Amino acid sequence: MKLNTLQESNINKSRMSRTLIYIVLFVFAIYYLLPLYVMMINSFKHLDDIRSGGMLNLPSIWTIDPWKSAWSTAQIGIDPSGLKPYLWNSISMVVPAVLISTILGSLNGYVLTKWQFRGHGVVFGLLLLACFIPFQVVLIPMAKILGLLGLAGTTQGLILVHVVYGLGFTTLFFRNYYAAFPTEIVKAAQIDGAGFFRIFWRVLLPSSGPIIVVTIIWQFTNIWNDFLFGASFADFDSIPMTIALNNLVNSSTGVKEYNVHFAGAILAALPTLIVYIVSGRYFVRGLMAGAVKG
Amino acid sequence: MASLTISNLYKSFGAVEVLKGIDLSIEDGGFLVLVGPSGCGKSTLLNAIAGLEEITSGEIMIGDNSVAGLHPSKRNIAMVFQSYALYPNMTVSQNISFGMEMQGIEKDERIQAVNKVAETLQISELLDRKPGQLSGGQRQRVAMGRAIVREPEVFLFDEPLSNLDAKLRIDMRTEIKRLHQRLGSTIIYVTHDQIEAMTLATKIAVLKDGCIQQYGSPYEIYNNPSNMFVANFMGAPSMNLIEGQVKKVGDSVEFQMKISGGDNVSLPVTDVEGLESYIDKLVVCGIRPEAITDLELLSNNSNAEVVEKELLVDVVEPAGSDTFAILELGEKQVVARLNGNSRVSAGEKVKLTFNLSQTVFFDKKTEERIR
Repeated sequence: MKLNTLQESNINKSRMSRTLIYIVLFVFAIYYLLPLYVMMINSFKHLDDIRSGGMLNLPSIWTIDPWKSAWSTAQIGIDPSGLKPYLWNSISMVVPAVLISTILGSLNGYVLTKWQFRGHGVVFGLLLLACFIPFQVVLIPMAKILGLLGLAGTTQGLILVHVVYGLGFTTLFFRNYYAAFPTEIVKAAQIDGAGFFRIFWRVLLPSSGPIIVVTIIWQFTNIWNDFLFGASFADFDSIPMTIALNNLVNSSTGVKEYNVHFAGAILAALPTLIVYIVSGRYFVRGLMAGAVKG
Repeated sequence: MASLTISNLYKSFGAVEVLKGIDLSIEDGGFLVLVGPSGCGKSTLLNAIAGLEEITSGEIMIGDNSVAGLHPSKRNIAMVFQSYALYPNMTVSQNISFGMEMQGIEKDERIQAVNKVAETLQISELLDRKPGQLSGGQRQRVAMGRAIVREPEVFLFDEPLSNLDAKLRIDMRTEIKRLHQRLGSTIIYVTHDQIEAMTLATKIAVLKDGCIQQYGSPYEIYNNPSNMFVANFMGAPSMNLIEGQVKKVGDSVEFQMKISGGDNVSLPVTDVEGLESYIDKLVVCGIRPEAITDLELLSNNSNAEVVEKELLVDVVEPAGSDTFAILELGEKQVVARLNGNSRVSAGEKVKLTFNLSQTVFFDKKTEERIR
């Protein structure tokens, strides 16, 4: 009898703490989602509606004009072009940069774990160091090199910058993933007569799904969201989305069109959001797989 | 099929010498087991034969050809790994045929070869599965299938059974032995399990610290260990190594062992050859548990020299077929192997028969065999 009541009080206690946890989580979820809500709601309002206050209210009249404007007619710097052309700029920069840095990172990881050479630890250490170098430090040397290569102000130049900067992270991801990959399998493939690239292509890469997803998401969000490199190294015809958004918000002709700004900001964030939604569950799984053996 | 000859093989990793002058040879169709404690260099030796590890100096010959500088895939070998090392992304049949695919063999021919091997190993119904869907024993079979399909001159096994549970391990052991008998192939097999070594091998090489301690048939290794390490390593329970003094008593020579709180026990030494210079010195006598026993076991072994002693039993460990009695001799624990029906109990004095023709002597300092 006594044991029973003890057990019951324990169950009650755990139920209490569980409720508490859910309340806290709920509050934080609201807190984090609030800005998105404000942006969404206000991007569908007329400017008058916004000015009359009540930031959290639903629009009195729904309109998609701000979205149209942000997409194709809003003033970006000196051009009334909307964000449309810059989306392409960003995509043509991000996609090659992500693919190249991922491929190079996976090759690096493969060599650093399965074809170790004298001093591989040092090389890996130096590559890791690249993850910790602040962006600002490399700005001037990078500008110099881009100038020397004749890539200043071009999309290719930006791709190079992002590949170089991303290599540390992609190498780290793949190295840790492949370190847990049994070396005996590579030896077995050697005995079967497969060479360096054949082993990589036929054996390692098909087993790297989770870490490829992690790397792509990581690189995609980082490069898409980058502002500093874009602002420093892009020219008129290679300006990425983030810079264009800034120019949209800071163009000071007439009144501030908050509804257009909100719509533009969501447009600029949309691709990363889509990448997360499509492959988010692989992201978490991949992070775990990279960190924990097995 | 081919013989394998290794001469004067050295291998170092930086300043650490892992293999120190290995000389070995196994005839065509032989089953060589490399056995030793972990870190003795046996796996390194196997990897060197496979070509997965570069050697520092020395020579490895498969058949009549030196394999120096040859890529692993060109050495006519096949290897079965401890972790099976199956390609996780491929099906069983793709796993088995990957090597042939790399050699550019036609698809029809590959399928035929895979089916034939699958039949021999009874894994035909598994061919479309991925390794992740197989049990340990099935993976082991697939790994062997991948090796057999290459039709190599030499098979290399790197502790292939150590990831299996005890029951399955014994079954697979028999299977490997049967496979060897059927294929008649040359096999090099690495293990740290001395029972596997004894049951499978035609020749055993016992390794320690990168040196071969002894090389010979299982019978030789078991009955004539060349030093104390081999004596101790092979056999379960291992050989009793009892310290004692060689004494001359009148015309005959005796080996005397101390017993705490009692008189010395002495065994007559009939074959004195080699022991003359050790008189009045400490030596180590090696005697297998089955050579210390109760009478019945020995009665049918007519030409054995035996001597009877009455000794106090410390602990009794019945094991079904045998009963092990543990007693104290020469300040060491000594195991005697008694009849399984023996009714001895701890603290009792028991009459034990020592089979003197099965005793060996070691130098206490060098640990090498005297006689």
